[in-house]
Amino acid sequence: MTYDASVRKDSDGLSRATGDRPFWGRLAGWGPYRAFAALVTASPRRQFVILATFPILWLLTQHLGPMLQMLRVSLVDAYPVAQDAPQAFTFDNYLRFFGDRIFWMPFFRTLTFAAVFTFCTLIITYPVAYFLARHVSRRNQMLMLLLLLIPFWVGEIVRTYAIMILLGNTGAVNLVLKWFGFIDRPIPFMYTSFSMGIGIVYLTALYMLLPLYSALEKLPKSYNEAAADLGAGAWTRFRRVTLPLTLEGISSGCTLVFLISTGFYATPVLLGGPSTTVFAETIAGFFHVAGDEWPTGAAFAVIMFVAALLITGVFQRLMKALRKGDTA
Amino acid sequence: MKKLTLNRRRFIGTTAMAGAALASPAYLRRAAAQGSGEVNIWTYNDFVPESFKEQFEAETGIKVNIRLVDDQGKQFNLLAAEQPNPTVDIMTVAGHRFLQFIDSELLAPLDTDRLSNWGNINPTFSESDWATINGEKWGAPILSGMEVLAYNTELVSQEEAMTWDTLFSEKYSGQTAYIIQDMMSIVMLMMGYDGNMVAYMDDPAKAAAIVEEAKQFLIEKKPLVRKYYDSGAEVQQMFVNQDIALGHSWNGPAAALINDGFPLGMTIPNEGSYGFVYTYNVANNAPNVDNAYTFLDAILASPEIGAAMTKASGFISTYKDASNYLTDLEKKSTSFPEEQLANLQFFRAEANEMKYGLVDPAVEAVKAA
Repeated sequence: MTYDASVRKDSDGLSRATGDRPFWGRLAGWGPYRAFAALVTASPRRQFVILATFPILWLLTQHLGPMLQMLRVSLVDAYPVAQDAPQAFTFDNYLRFFGDRIFWMPFFRTLTFAAVFTFCTLIITYPVAYFLARHVSRRNQMLMLLLLLIPFWVGEIVRTYAIMILLGNTGAVNLVLKWFGFIDRPIPFMYTSFSMGIGIVYLTALYMLLPLYSALEKLPKSYNEAAADLGAGAWTRFRRVTLPLTLEGISSGCTLVFLISTGFYATPVLLGGPSTTVFAETIAGFFHVAGDEWPTGAAFAVIMFVAALLITGVFQRLMKALRKGDTA
Repeated sequence: MKKLTLNRRRFIGTTAMAGAALASPAYLRRAAAQGSGEVNIWTYNDFVPESFKEQFEAETGIKVNIRLVDDQGKQFNLLAAEQPNPTVDIMTVAGHRFLQFIDSELLAPLDTDRLSNWGNINPTFSESDWATINGEKWGAPILSGMEVLAYNTELVSQEEAMTWDTLFSEKYSGQTAYIIQDMMSIVMLMMGYDGNMVAYMDDPAKAAAIVEEAKQFLIEKKPLVRKYYDSGAEVQQMFVNQDIALGHSWNGPAAALINDGFPLGMTIPNEGSYGFVYTYNVANNAPNVDNAYTFLDAILASPEIGAAMTKASGFISTYKDASNYLTDLEKKSTSFPEEQLANLQFFRAEANEMKYGLVDPAVEAVKAA
């Protein structure tokens, strides 16, 4: 109480009243701060509203805002427009997709690529996550994770160029194959669905690995030991114990990688070839074209967004049903 | 005595510095009187020589902010989105795209009376028919380019490179690359049509049929191409990595490779090709108009600066006597035999609305096929 009284007596506020106490102690005793704290914590409801304000504002302005703006652009007949030029509401931009088959190919190609690359990423990263979670000592797991994270310290474009350096006609892979005498002429890896796939798997691997690692790391070893005691072989233990109990991680990882893969632009442009044009490139084309094609690009982006969400929604449902089936 | 060795980079720097220094007194005094500030420029890579920029900034106090662009369409959209309060003062518009920018009120007419060095531009470019629209000048021509067939001289003969057919031949299957939009015009020319489509302005049905024919041709030849690319840097990289043996290219990126010693040649094939001129333009409602004119007058000041732009970009300078400041190799990489130049015609803008209304969907169709 002496403390409070001393603060109240000091009309000059923080500095003189609090002497050499630690900063937070001085702050806690500062009149305006105390008044603010009392206002904020007056009721749980008010506390919730104030705490939630910033995250909600962030979500609205940084996440939802641009998407709503894109939705708005997709529903007008021209954008950008000169000052004071009229804009009319229209669904034509969406109808253009459904009315012109040439856009279907890159659309379905993108979804197919995304599904295939997601599956490949799962197959490649599951053993890595398994090894990390089950066979690396606790002490070394963080170190291993850090090593896996190193490539992600640089941007997508730089890592894509690294793939180009590896797979080019004069790249490391061809040079090694040539040096060992396996080939006379370089294998044209680049600008194919193969090079694009390598790039996308490489770029998305971590998004699959971390949920898988998290799911595997939580799995008690005693479950497998019990299964082994009951006579289950290695494959049966994996199929009946490990896999079902990591379905949640698989579901999260696959959803993340699939959604990211549907939106990749730079990697297909740099690594893909004439027959790998993805929908993001088609959309980008509308934004590059000089004229009033932005609304069409925006509509196509909305279509892909909705389609990707629908597919992942169905996938999540399936995984949920699978998990229920296993636990029933 | 210490031997003086000049490498290419140092030579470019030295010549540009010398050029800027020679040109400086007139414009620098004016600029100093105007005080400092900034000028915002949207342009292609290497179109403002670094040494010129540094000296301009040091002596005028005007900071030069460069934003790189790689596509006229993107530039148009960016500017349209920013109007009526653009962040840019000077842009780089190709002459054949003027109309589109002018119709959308994105450019301000160029007041050539404010450019004491306007006369340093070769009149072939500054006074040509496309340069004057609605009785006004809209840009200062700086570099000229053309669509060429570039080829690795160790893999393709010059004779083969004298026809666009080689680009679509089975012999070089999987070893070619091109920009689809540019190739649409060239394919029309190959087929004996007017790739500018000016001849079909009164016959849209025929124009549509021609674009359809060109589109079908490119779809049919799609299995032969290695890569559809977008930027000059991409085609340079593909040549260097030996991913391709020949490809359609702008002469600038190809010339830059030749100057770097890469075994590359380029031709204007017998069927013909198209040329274009890059111009510096002042944006409508530009925030720093005075600084923009100071910059333009400075960069037009001397042929040495034009030569430095050619050395850096590989495109051909529009400045009078700029070639006097190029090495023999640079001259060779930025010039063509008379008989090839006879096959060249410039892109024209009159039919652009109809042309690109047909070509853009065709490009998407080729990509999607």
